[in-house]
Amino acid sequence: MLEQLKPIICEYVEAEPENITLDSKFIEDLHFNSYDFMSFLGEVEEMFEVTVDEQDILNLQTVGDAIAYLENLKK
Amino acid sequence: MKEFQVNGVTLKCYPLTAAQRIHNYSVMHCPYHQLLNIGTGLYIQLDVDFNLLKESIYECYERFESMRLRFLEDTDGTVYQYLVPFEERDIEFRDFSHWKEEDAHDEMRRWTAVPFKRFHSPMSQIVMIKLPNDYNGIYMKVNHLTMDSSSIITFFRDVLEIYCSKCYDYPAPKPMHSYIKALEKDLAYEAGSAAQKKDAEFWMNEITKSEPMYTDFNGMGRLLTQRRENNNPDQRSAKVTSISPEASISVYQLEKEPSERLIKFCEENRVPVVCLLLMGLRTVLSKFNNDEKDVSIKSCVARRGTLLEKRSGGTRIHFFPIRTILEPECTFLEGIRAIQEEQNRLFRHANYDPIAHTYQRVRHWKLNSGESYESISLTYQPMTMRQDSEDIPNIPYKSMWYTNGVAAQPLYLTVMHRVEDNGLNFNFEYRKDAVTNYEMEYLYYYLCRVLFRGIENSSRTIGEILEMI
Repeated sequence: MLEQLKPIICEYVEAEPENITLDSKFIEDLHFNSYDFMSFLGEVEEMFEVTVDEQDILNLQTVGDAIAYLENLKK
Repeated sequence: MKEFQVNGVTLKCYPLTAAQRIHNYSVMHCPYHQLLNIGTGLYIQLDVDFNLLKESIYECYERFESMRLRFLEDTDGTVYQYLVPFEERDIEFRDFSHWKEEDAHDEMRRWTAVPFKRFHSPMSQIVMIKLPNDYNGIYMKVNHLTMDSSSIITFFRDVLEIYCSKCYDYPAPKPMHSYIKALEKDLAYEAGSAAQKKDAEFWMNEITKSEPMYTDFNGMGRLLTQRRENNNPDQRSAKVTSISPEASISVYQLEKEPSERLIKFCEENRVPVVCLLLMGLRTVLSKFNNDEKDVSIKSCVARRGTLLEKRSGGTRIHFFPIRTILEPECTFLEGIRAIQEEQNRLFRHANYDPIAHTYQRVRHWKLNSGESYESISLTYQPMTMRQDSEDIPNIPYKSMWYTNGVAAQPLYLTVMHRVEDNGLNFNFEYRKDAVTNYEMEYLYYYLCRVLFRGIENSSRTIGEILEMI
């Protein structure tokens, strides 16, 4: 899933795909702001056909958190 | 998309987006067409090669499609937009170096109040400026239909980067993205997309939940008058429009150190600055309105998430109400987090047409013409015009935002970072019939008191803060 997310992340922020890892933090490392992140989640929802619960959003701090969460939703 | 003949050439013309229709709607209902003018200036204390600067500006016109937008009106009154291949308007030069600086700024304020021709005409004017004390730079006036504050800042930075690349071998900036591509994406969303339907459903649910409460920056007077006039003691909305749109701007500068304290608080608590400002403002509105718990503020959503949206210029701002109902026992930090959650929810549906939202709300709550629940609109602009490089470090900068003299809304607060020291400027644009300069100062004073009482101990409750101030 990481490889699927990389191009989407790069649509939002100036990051090199090879530098995006599971530990990359959306805000501190990738420099997402709140709107970027919400907009990104909307795109991810469409791509993976899932619905992200608003209560869970603040817990998604790293790319790894997002992947684990999405994988859980897809089960 | 529709094709029109313009000067004998067939051109692709696009309808206005929702963000543009907000501005077009305002100008159609206001006799003062300068309403949409935004005047700005950026000046640096450095010798400037004005020929090179002129070249750089023309290059930026080439890079920024939205700076080359024109508008036309179809026979049925629908407004369309199209691009011209290059900017033919001359970049003028004015030497104000022997003027008093304030007189020079007054002159530029006068330029800002001159409206553009609406159709088949350039929507921007740039003048290279020499100010006293060796400050040199550019004045720019643009029509809000083509640019918003993010685009303007991006344009100014682009001019500086290109100028520096010509002057100092500074690396040339990356190419801009296509405005037309971003426009087509917006128009595709509006053409009955699944996302639009989902957003419409969300906003209808929000509207019908319960009726908000109007809170005014001048206290209960306006609402009580409305209740009396309409013989309705339970009325929760108030009229905010006026036949007199004459406006002014008051700018209050928060010093560098206290500004840094606010930013540091946000970083440490991982909350956006705009949520802190909204919390401050809603607490002041609560204080001024009999400790009201239900407060709504119109908040600006810049809608620039993707790099395409960030670097394609244009005007993209949508306004939506942020409504919070907070009990006095809620702590300052809990309040900020509640606003953050609310904001995140709204962000996910922010592409929805704000005019449609307003109409739906008016219909649902049977509001009279011009009535609303929000007295204040807030924008936080995190970007600055400053462009540092190793070649030109620590140059003194000055930036100005010039009023066009009229405003559609009673009070519009824009908080932005100063180019000089990154401190915060609180720009209050207000309609003169709605508020006085003194009342503005009072509001700013209370806003600062709430913010600093809140951040010095964020576990203080709203009730405690309301008592302290």
